[in-house]
Amino acid sequence: MLLQNAIGDTLNNTEWAFALAECVHIGGFAVGVGSIALVDFRMLNLGLRHETAGRILRYTELWTVIALLFVVFSGVALFLSQADIYRVNLVFPIKMYVLAAALIYNFTVHRKVATMENPPPLLSKLVATVSLLLWVSVVFGGIFTGFLV
Amino acid sequence: MAIAHSIQSIGFLTAFSESVLVYPIVLSIHLACIALFGGMILATDLRLLGLTFKSLTITEMVTSLRPWKRAGGTIMIAMGLLLAASEAEKYAPNPFFWAKMIILGLIGVHAVIFRPIVYSKTEELDRSPVIPTKAKVAAILSLSLWTAMFVMGRLIAYWD
Repeated sequence: MLLQNAIGDTLNNTEWAFALAECVHIGGFAVGVGSIALVDFRMLNLGLRHETAGRILRYTELWTVIALLFVVFSGVALFLSQADIYRVNLVFPIKMYVLAAALIYNFTVHRKVATMENPPPLLSKLVATVSLLLWVSVVFGGIFTGFLV
Repeated sequence: MAIAHSIQSIGFLTAFSESVLVYPIVLSIHLACIALFGGMILATDLRLLGLTFKSLTITEMVTSLRPWKRAGGTIMIAMGLLLAASEAEKYAPNPFFWAKMIILGLIGVHAVIFRPIVYSKTEELDRSPVIPTKAKVAAILSLSLWTAMFVMGRLIAYWD
């Protein structure tokens, strides 16, 4: 509670703190989801065909994890600054469920299929499409949280 | 101001900004494009700097992602202009909006300067034993411009 108030107060009372937290949140999202999307595009055979999806995943996964950590921490800070509003928001809990699904999916099914030696092409494409849909849904959830109160 | 008012009074733009659903949908598409295609720009720039994706040639990195970056960039800019035009009176006096537009122009200048010497000469870059300075300069400028563009976009909401 004390920490919640401390973080919330800082973001509410410092002019630039909220803007900074939002920049980190969205910037981190762009890097995190963008790096996952590169793997998805490869799995969909839409680019970077001279390298395997598994190798692209190896190149990008550290970026993905670090960026998503920034997103989560800045997101928690943003939540705490207006916790009362988020608690009654209709869209916010949906966003959290989709986010949880996207995160679990990314580090289980998506990772598994991306690193398979010879995955059935249809499976790869299906897994990549679901991944893109989940992450785009999280973006929509974030924006709609702010618009439909 | 009169111009701004006339722009946002155009029938479909008024309907657009007053719609409960359409405005946030367009904003979401704008942001989703930033994530999907911003990641490609970042990956290309990091490859030009020689920091990652080393098993892929610069040519592969630049050319295979090019059509997607073009399509994504077009959607992103179209959605952005739609958002700005629908609230033209609010955007017209906003210095961050104009800063963002100037940066957008500079990104165009970057393309004009570096396309003929870097992005269209990727095979030459791949043959070179070390990545030439001009490619690294192009990458660093690209990263700086896109980051500035992104920050200005966010700051638009904070000016009153």
